Amino acid sequence: MDNIANLMHGFSVALTTHHLLLMMAGVLLGVLVGVLPGLGAPNGVSLLLPLTFSMDPVSAIILLTSLYWGALFGGSTTSILFNIPGEPSSVATTFDGHPMAKQGKATEALSFAFLSAGFGALAGVILITLLSGWVAKFALRFSSPEYFAVYFMTFASFIGLGGASPFKTVVSMAIGFALATIGMDSVSGNVRLTFEFDVLLAGVSFLIAVIGLFGIGELLLTMEEGLKFEGVAAKVRISDVLRTAAKLPRYWLALLRSALIGIWMGITPGGPTAASFMSYAMAKRSSRNPAKFGKGEPEGVIAPETADHAAGSAAMLPMLALGIPGSATAAVMMGGLMIWGLNPGPTLFTDRPDFVWGLIASMYLGNVVAVVVVLATVPLFASILRIPFSIIGPIIVVICFIGAFTAASKEFDIWLALVFGLVGYLFKKLDYPIAPLVLAMVIGDKAEDAFRQSMIFSQGSLSIFWSNPLVSTLMAIGLALLVMPVIGSLARRLRGTKAAGTV
Amino acid sequence: MITRFWAEIGTAILTLVFGLVIVKGSLEFGIGWDTSGPQPGAFPFYAGALIALASLGTLAVTVGQRVAGKAALAEAFLDAERGKRVLSFLLPLVAFVVLSVTLGMYVATILYLVFAMRFQGGYGWLPSLVTALLTAAFFYFALEKFFQIGLLKGPIEPLIGL
Repeated sequence: MDNIANLMHGFSVALTTHHLLLMMAGVLLGVLVGVLPGLGAPNGVSLLLPLTFSMDPVSAIILLTSLYWGALFGGSTTSILFNIPGEPSSVATTFDGHPMAKQGKATEALSFAFLSAGFGALAGVILITLLSGWVAKFALRFSSPEYFAVYFMTFASFIGLGGASPFKTVVSMAIGFALATIGMDSVSGNVRLTFEFDVLLAGVSFLIAVIGLFGIGELLLTMEEGLKFEGVAAKVRISDVLRTAAKLPRYWLALLRSALIGIWMGITPGGPTAASFMSYAMAKRSSRNPAKFGKGEPEGVIAPETADHAAGSAAMLPMLALGIPGSATAAVMMGGLMIWGLNPGPTLFTDRPDFVWGLIASMYLGNVVAVVVVLATVPLFASILRIPFSIIGPIIVVICFIGAFTAASKEFDIWLALVFGLVGYLFKKLDYPIAPLVLAMVIGDKAEDAFRQSMIFSQGSLSIFWSNPLVSTLMAIGLALLVMPVIGSLARRLRGTKAAGTV
Repeated sequence: MITRFWAEIGTAILTLVFGLVIVKGSLEFGIGWDTSGPQPGAFPFYAGALIALASLGTLAVTVGQRVAGKAALAEAFLDAERGKRVLSFLLPLVAFVVLSVTLGMYVATILYLVFAMRFQGGYGWLPSLVTALLTAAFFYFALEKFFQIGLLKGPIEPLIGL
């Protein structure tokens, strides 16, 4: 019951007028970045982060998490009304959401999306409330080898579960680690890998990488595809919303299943995008009439939306309790925590309980605020998309580069953002996953420290990673995840030949 | 037209070179063991080596698929029409970056937006100028006045007393 008392304390921190206003501002900005192509949640957080350096950490994190919720909602809005996913994680929502809107059921589709998204998010937050204290307490037993093993597990699961080519995932991840080592080495005091360029002394900021890879890269891709908005007008009436809400309990099974999938994918670094696709596929497979999917089936909206938001909020659990972000956005926020002088991980629960529980309480409030604000402002944001892309596109470009500059007031960062933009375009077109790169950049230093300290304990022997049951288990899970693609493709080949043999 | 095959190969070679550069850079700092634990170059060395090895893996897989005749590799990565659309967006964007570091970000913003709206979007001079000036003014007041964050400025701002 400790957690409940802590949560109540958290509410007393989060429930101030100042914080409620920040939540509203965050959600509105979030819906805006979610709606605009090329700006997404990771980007929005990166762009806003430099403006929070002077704020107190609790207010800053409330603003940023609210932006995150808003962005998730904004992404679904464009999916349904325009058939354009504002966020990668809302791609699956277009499958049935847009057909529903075209059949004149836009309000119903939006309400289903927002309400089930709210449900998913709440499920994620409840999980965090119940488990985070316990996980953190467990993690206090970790020392360097265990930490390294957890990092190893995180990246192994990207390679094993990510779906992209394992080689490409490794390239992306290792580039992140390599970039993280540029600049001052905190252990030896050496300046590494600057190749005599003074501009590299301070290192390469993950913020610039996110702005370039996600922002500029995405815009170039959008341009290439020749963006056309063919929207469905939406007016949201309260009575329609309530009628839809009354229908929601009918889909309790889909809601629960999708929330569980989302939570699982959020805690493991599968992330919201994978969660929404997986949940959609599961809903279709287990449905009594799968033929209706893709033609405007409400369950096809509910399933991906619930999973998307459950994963988005559950991704905060490993970030807070272990210092390992479960998604690219969580990675950026964790980088923010470190910039504000906080140390994400189990010690945060004992050192800064007001911060942790204030954040958790704000996640409850933020999602309620988000559902209300989003339902009220959908028509407004939908009209933004009627502004032609030849105006909006260049303005987003300007915002991205200004954001890159404000991160550290360095001229070099503008060039760097351009380079990252080109790399992002190339990587996205060739299916290189980008999230591992960002994650590796944020936790690179910590992973390296954990590795070096373990090596010091063991006098350079790798056997330290198998020295006790805890670290051995973690490493074994990591290795199992790592070989999964190999086993998977072998199994498929065996099954494939068998199937071919019988036919 | 660039096929997917050559795009894959080109990108893999780029990442391979990047990996080798990191490896070479780390060798300067020692990748072995000294009294205080692993030398500073060790971790980046392994990261760079991983990039290089995985790039070789991608190269091998891509060439293997080409030999096996996988159709997706012969598809267009970028055809003339798409390439033109990307360039028409990318070139002004690069110009914006160059202008930002020479004339300052506010002037660059105005020039870039006017160019994009007037010559690419087909708007008149008046709406283009108004949108560009309003955008720049918005950033000026939001950043310099409210958040007290200065942007890059060039030779023109001092002339008009900003």
